[in-house]
Amino acid sequence: MKKYYPPVRTLHLYIGLFVSPFVLIFSISVLVLNHAGYLNSVMPVKRLPVIKTHLDKIPYDTSDLQTAKAITQKLGIKGEIDFISKNDDHISFPVTLPGERTKIEVNKHTNEVLITRDEEGVLRATNYLHKMPGPHNTQIRGNATFMKTWRLLADMVVYLLLFLSASGIFLWYFLKAERKLGWLAIISGAIIFTGLLLFIIG
Amino acid sequence: MTYKTLIKKLTYSNRRLHIHIGLFLVLFIWLFSFSGLLLNHGNWKFASFWDERKEKTIEITVSIPAGLDSIQVLKTILSQLKIVGEVNNVKMTPDSVDFSVAYPGHVSNIHADFKKGTGIQKELSYNIWGKLRTLHTFNGANRDNADVEPNWLLTRVWRFSMDAIAVGLIFLSVSSWIMWYKIRQNYLWGYLALIAGFALAGWFVYLLKL
Repeated sequence: MKKYYPPVRTLHLYIGLFVSPFVLIFSISVLVLNHAGYLNSVMPVKRLPVIKTHLDKIPYDTSDLQTAKAITQKLGIKGEIDFISKNDDHISFPVTLPGERTKIEVNKHTNEVLITRDEEGVLRATNYLHKMPGPHNTQIRGNATFMKTWRLLADMVVYLLLFLSASGIFLWYFLKAERKLGWLAIISGAIIFTGLLLFIIG
Repeated sequence: MTYKTLIKKLTYSNRRLHIHIGLFLVLFIWLFSFSGLLLNHGNWKFASFWDERKEKTIEITVSIPAGLDSIQVLKTILSQLKIVGEVNNVKMTPDSVDFSVAYPGHVSNIHADFKKGTGIQKELSYNIWGKLRTLHTFNGANRDNADVEPNWLLTRVWRFSMDAIAVGLIFLSVSSWIMWYKIRQNYLWGYLALIAGFALAGWFVYLLKL
């Protein structure tokens, strides 16, 4: 087994360095998600002036997603269409890029468009990325190119993180000087982990 | 102690902490990694949870003494029904209250009529996959009001654990840079790995909206 130590160490080091910025995104976003109230008080979302405009020839005789895409294309707004709401009079949908959220509302009778834009900042950008692609609106998720790429990256980060944790255990096992304290760390982590799960989902 | 000795001691401690914090967090990392994959891949058949959910409707009786405020009313109902969890979506009128109580994998929607002293409790239970998914997102956050703090002790404990894991992972990332920097001469590709990671992550966080 020891012959694998050098290549595993090299892989652990390079993969760890590559993945570390993504781990920062996911970790910082946890703090943002858990303390949204505090973030709102120190770094509120910046609402930009509302824009009213008019569009010609909106294709309503196709799928909602195609209609929404056609509208964003005509308006020159880029991003992931998160979900689409519509009724007989209006079609509205948010278009999001990490850190920037635009809400578009179109009057289907007059083709008048109301655009509301929020600058959410870098921290909320990590929050959005953490939650994407996520379990909701799977039928339309990945309608922007960046989201298709992020979907792959998010999965890749998880698989690489699993590799890093497994290879970390492998590397630790050969460090005799850290053996005792390492076992203590694993066992205490396991006890706290199991205890928490038993209490919470019991 | 000289500057050199201090640096040497700090880098040694950094390495040890990297190893032991990593080992301590390993089960948490696996839990959140796997549940993250479940959330992003709702189409995985083996992890189907919504179709396997169990629903139960129970008629309940409640006795609410007069003169209680809304929090006392909710506490009284929870104690009479012997249920625990994070309370959400409270809608109270002078005659009745509707609210939900949840913990990972289990939701109770309750309607109680004060005058009649009766009500309905609709229970929803998920299988293990549903429990894992909800553990990933169970932080007591209120979508309508971000200032509202969790109201169940265990939600607070779990949220604190999430924070601690996040801080631990941030430490593991930063300590890995320090460890590599010490031996960078032997691992020159580390520059490329780190720059590529930062460039790609930075593109998503900063550059997309430009």
